[in-house]
Amino acid sequence: MKIKRFVSIPWHLIFIATIFILIFPIIFAVGSSFKSLQDAYNNVLNIIPIQPTLENYQTFFDSLPAIQITVNTFIIAAVVTIFKVITSFLAAYAFVYFQFRGKTVLYFVLISTIFIPFTVTMIPNYLIISKIGLTDSIWGVILPQLADALGIFLMRQSMKTIPMSLIEVARLDNLSHVQIMRDIVLPLIKPAVTSTGIWFFISSWNEYVWPVLILKTTDNFTLPLALQMYISSEGGTNFTVAMAVSVITMIIPLALYLAFQRYIVGTFTSSGIK
Amino acid sequence: MSALTAGVKRFNKENWKAYFLLFPSLLIFAFFMFWPFIYTIYLSFFDWNMISPTKEFVGFQNYIDILTDPKSYKIFGNTFIYIAILLVLNCVVPYVFAFVIDMVLKRFKGFYKGALFMPAFISLVVGSILFTWILNPVSGPVAIILGWFGLEMPIWSKMDGWVIFVLSLITSWKVFGYNFIVLYASINGISRELIEAARLDQVPLWRIFFQIVLPMSSATGIYVFIITIVQGLQYVFTPIKVITQGGPNYASSNAIYHAYHEAFVLYRTGHSAALSILTMVIFLVLLLIEIKFVERGIYYEN
Repeated sequence: MKIKRFVSIPWHLIFIATIFILIFPIIFAVGSSFKSLQDAYNNVLNIIPIQPTLENYQTFFDSLPAIQITVNTFIIAAVVTIFKVITSFLAAYAFVYFQFRGKTVLYFVLISTIFIPFTVTMIPNYLIISKIGLTDSIWGVILPQLADALGIFLMRQSMKTIPMSLIEVARLDNLSHVQIMRDIVLPLIKPAVTSTGIWFFISSWNEYVWPVLILKTTDNFTLPLALQMYISSEGGTNFTVAMAVSVITMIIPLALYLAFQRYIVGTFTSSGIK
Repeated sequence: MSALTAGVKRFNKENWKAYFLLFPSLLIFAFFMFWPFIYTIYLSFFDWNMISPTKEFVGFQNYIDILTDPKSYKIFGNTFIYIAILLVLNCVVPYVFAFVIDMVLKRFKGFYKGALFMPAFISLVVGSILFTWILNPVSGPVAIILGWFGLEMPIWSKMDGWVIFVLSLITSWKVFGYNFIVLYASINGISRELIEAARLDQVPLWRIFFQIVLPMSSATGIYVFIITIVQGLQYVFTPIKVITQGGPNYASSNAIYHAYHEAFVLYRTGHSAALSILTMVIFLVLLLIEIKFVERGIYYEN
């Protein structure tokens, strides 16, 4: 019997429309960021600027310490990522390859924290950071974020795919845990580690809620905080500059995504965040 | 075999090392998660403005204040409207999309997956700013196009109802892709044999979805359901803070934003803490529902 083919044309139209809605803002931002303010207001629907100009980017670099802000964003994202990857890897290794008292309870407690809204910890965390004098410092942003429950979860998931016998044989060969981590586990779950790392980096790069509480002066700002200075619900007059800052803010995450796309989509669809 | 067991035994003797490996994570969690959690519960029983050297014990007064304030009902009402919209846009729609892309379509699957996931990597502040301009009721592109058809765009940032809808849309733009990919992974893992058999029997598409795919991906489905609520509400914080600051007259505020507002704008840590704890209790109830569902023997992939 012949299997009836599903009708797929309407679905393609729906997906293309959805993707257009999702991607249009990005194209709109890139186009507008190279327009003069005049051009942007008069030709809203013309995505491609008539006379491309860099003046919006120039304005950003003139009015705010743009390089410092970009460097701040990068340092925070890099340090947070490196630490989260290391702490998550070590913790996941402990959960997968050791038996110890309270393991199940501890794992459950750690994973449950994913479901705690940030408002529950926000005031005490702010007080701790103030007490140790790190308000208005990028280190105050970094410190509470050096470990991550989702990271432990993801790494544990991928370590569990390694056959236990492989590790046991390695132990019989008198390999130390450091050697097992470095020479067996890490190479085998490298794709998951890389994707998790990229996810951490991008999340931290885009982070807004916690930095906005901690950072006060523009010299210490990150890109999302700088961008926020160009918005008002009425519109304001810095429209094209806001678009330029938006482009600068999203260029690194988008570049990382496009470069590692198959890798990232692969990890998220195979190791599975369940 | 006995050598293996001996190896495993030695393995077990070194289990104290596990604590050593867990130490860095636990240290951070102790200082910035567990202690703050307990301290927030403590603060919810005190009247304090974050600056004054003394805190006044008020018992359950903060909770009573919140539960008797009509404003709270508006805010909790908004919270549930946000939840409802986010569940449709970030749970139902990606579920259907993941199903169709995996099981119905033959072509462009990779492109659709890649493109739908893309906004998940962009800052929600960027998203908020872009949509503020694109949906500008006077000079934005959408308003201009609607103008061709003689339609007028509502001044959404100033209107009850509309403001929640638009802020939810902006949040969905960001959250959609991640939920989609997770659901896709789960649906992709369902055995093809059953599906092929159903198709041979000419079972209609909607029945394949409801009677095979939905039950067989339900563990992931519930996970996405929960994170849509728990993380969705926290993501909405960003467009609220950037675009409306909870206005007009609390019309766009939700429980998460209001807890922030109470703490860092009004400096009423007691109210903020009590509201956060109440919000968390609601989330906990949802989590318990999930566990109960899973225990009932819901189908678990793998």
